[in-house]
Amino acid sequence: MKKYVAKRVITAVFTLLVILLVLFILMQLMPGSPFNDEKLTADQKAALYAKYGLDQPVVIQFGRYVLNMLRGDFGVSYKISKNTPIAQLIAVRLPVSIAIGGYAVALGALVGLILGLIAALRRDTILDTLCTVISVIGVSVPSYVFALALSFQFGYKWHLFPMLYNTAEALNSSVLPSVSLSMFTMASIARFTRTEMLEVMGSEYMLLAESKGISGGALIFRHALRNALIPIITVLAPLIVDLMTGSLVVEKIFSIPGVGSLLVNAIQSNDYNVVISLSFIYSALYIAIMLVVDILYGIIDPRIRLAKDDA
Amino acid sequence: MKKSILALVLAMTMIAGLVGCGSSGGGKAEDSTQAAAPAAGGSDLKVMIETGVESLDPQVATDGTSFEFIANYTDGLMQMDADGQPIPAIAESYEVSEDGTEYTFHLRDAKWSNGTPVTAADFVFAWQRAVDPALSSEYSYMLSDIGQIANAAEIIAGEKDKSELGVTAVDDKTLKVVLNVPVSYFLSLMYFPTYYPMNEEFFNSVGDNYGTSADTVLSNGAFIVDDYTVAGNALHLTKNPDYWDADRVQLSGISYQVIQDSQQALMSYQNGDLDTTLINGDQVDQVQGSEEFQAIGAGYLWYVSPNIDAVDALKNLNIRMALTMAIDRETITKDVLKDGSNPSYRAVPMDFCTGPDGKDFSEDQEMHKDVCSFDAAKAADFWKKGLEELGMDSLELEMIVDDDDAPKKVSTVLKEQWETTLPGLTVTLRTEPKKQRVEDMQDGNFQLALTRWGPDYADPMTYLGMWVTGNDNNYGLWSNEEYDAIITECTIGKTAMDAEERWAELFKAEEIVLNEAVIFPIYGQCNAEMLSSKVTGIEFHPVALNRVYKNAVKSE
Repeated sequence: MKKYVAKRVITAVFTLLVILLVLFILMQLMPGSPFNDEKLTADQKAALYAKYGLDQPVVIQFGRYVLNMLRGDFGVSYKISKNTPIAQLIAVRLPVSIAIGGYAVALGALVGLILGLIAALRRDTILDTLCTVISVIGVSVPSYVFALALSFQFGYKWHLFPMLYNTAEALNSSVLPSVSLSMFTMASIARFTRTEMLEVMGSEYMLLAESKGISGGALIFRHALRNALIPIITVLAPLIVDLMTGSLVVEKIFSIPGVGSLLVNAIQSNDYNVVISLSFIYSALYIAIMLVVDILYGIIDPRIRLAKDDA
Repeated sequence: MKKSILALVLAMTMIAGLVGCGSSGGGKAEDSTQAAAPAAGGSDLKVMIETGVESLDPQVATDGTSFEFIANYTDGLMQMDADGQPIPAIAESYEVSEDGTEYTFHLRDAKWSNGTPVTAADFVFAWQRAVDPALSSEYSYMLSDIGQIANAAEIIAGEKDKSELGVTAVDDKTLKVVLNVPVSYFLSLMYFPTYYPMNEEFFNSVGDNYGTSADTVLSNGAFIVDDYTVAGNALHLTKNPDYWDADRVQLSGISYQVIQDSQQALMSYQNGDLDTTLINGDQVDQVQGSEEFQAIGAGYLWYVSPNIDAVDALKNLNIRMALTMAIDRETITKDVLKDGSNPSYRAVPMDFCTGPDGKDFSEDQEMHKDVCSFDAAKAADFWKKGLEELGMDSLELEMIVDDDDAPKKVSTVLKEQWETTLPGLTVTLRTEPKKQRVEDMQDGNFQLALTRWGPDYADPMTYLGMWVTGNDNNYGLWSNEEYDAIITECTIGKTAMDAEERWAELFKAEEIVLNEAVIFPIYGQCNAEMLSSKVTGIEFHPVALNRVYKNAVKSE
């Protein structure tokens, strides 16, 4: 098991380095510079490039960046907030994004689970159909459409929640964005729960449990749901990752001072260090989530662990 | 079954973990803002901005939003009046030497928000920073090329030390500035944020953290920053009770909100969460007829730049004349843009520079209409002649265009107008991100380009200076000796000292540009805005500071 984990961690670190290098090369290919291209003369631009070390070959820039990063220095912003250390920029914004993402995952998982359960237990009734309809809408409509619709109805029409994020009332402001972000997670979990529950309930051990006289709530929650949950963890992980990409647009709509909107702005203004740091953090999160899931698999399913140890 | 229990526990921990770190993070964000939360003001002005403030450092900032924000809490030597004319601010009075190359400013009693007086040394420190190669300020050219301050260019180039800059503090209250040549618009540069003062002692005490929070920035202006986070979406300023001109300021404060989604912006405005907001071209129809809708001059001139040097067909004057005269500018502004933008028949846009005669440089739009207004017959004649000279019967041209709403619309109409009026012409449009379009122009990798230019200072030279031989922005590499001579004479020659003659010469220069069809001017851009009827007195300017709030009043 240890060997398996170590192997996976080493692969993850190596993947991150490759991602970083690719990011550096992509930055070089982006047209324009972080500076005011239109108004600057070639001399001024050269001076600015020299100041920030952007005139160096990619390999040297990459090496320097990795070394600085190991010391916790992610460089400074060239454009969005001039000369501000990236760490400082992100430190303010990351908690906001994590909070909203957290609410969205929790809400999506919980509501999805309930909807899925209802659909499975009331199979082929109007409730089942209703849950399916909700799921299909949730999966197929992008989160920003929900964001705009919710903002229009609950913010603009009914004044129930703020249309724009307000740090003074963070919780209240997080409701609409979290709900819009959670729709996809909710729908996916609901569909998955329904399928898994139906499969588990049709299994022989459920028949055994039932024949032993266990019934009602105990049967459903202690026996069926527990077993159905295992595969659900595996879908939850990639859903969290989907949520991060969804946040790019949703943050823009609600003017949320999070990392998603920061990344979009950084890309548009060629703010290299911000783009690289945030893409790196996103990649690292993605890989970390995948790593956790892989390790969980190993714990849950000995077949994986044993197979890897043999190899 | 044991394994499934384990799985359940793990799943729950995962969810709990996320929620846990979520709520703690949210809590922190709440705490930090509560500490800095602005005092609730009765009549705060609520302003929407499209992009965040990039820098609070006046010598580093380059964008209009930062300039506007900085000017709310910083006064320079001069400030803008409603018409954009320079009037005294920190300078109580000034004298100009007879040859126009020496300015002496006498400072009034004004205080920084930490109680220290604003002195001449604050200006010297700031201006030296602006040209310091170590800072590499993007706007250092405001002091060298444009301000012509003695030794500025040499210091930027690293040839002289920054202490040799032509600005000295004679005493605490007297600032002397030496210029290389007389600069007719020098006083109007004094309200440009690059020229704003910086208190050396305070700056050194906060070091690299300058301008990263409300506590690391000083105010000497109408307002004080009291809520600021780097790249923040919500910013706040409150009235400065110790401002030297505090009686004039009516607002209790200004809150800025960054909104990038235009629909959210308009809805927030309609909900009363904003007093003013920008709207986009598609929304104009929704609000057309509303008394609160306004078209505000943005200062930008949109024009087509032909690559005269690299494209043989565009070297031909008849072809260029045909192209410019085939453009129906009225249709573009009235039927396509509909946001209040005005057709332009001049190479310099309206509403940003006033001459010695007190008139706007481009007030007379008829002046050069004979060479650039829409005339299908004339255009076709030029076209026929041009093609004959080239020995061709058809022509294909490509135009590069920004991948943005307005330019895409305008270019589609341009293509249609050209192809309809000029037989045998095929125009292909290449849409690309703005940064790519600018890069292509800089590399000379274009035939025609739809581009825009905003004024940097209140003088026609901010436009006309571009077309001299060898200028970095002369992307079409047009070159004309007579033109170069006029511009040189008006910049550093004798003409520069005679305002009236200089003005007349600039008209001549502009005439050459249009007679030679160096650019095809199209329209002067307006921004469509909503402005609450409760608010009066916001001053809009196309140059330097886009909005000034010192005289703004908001009724309850």
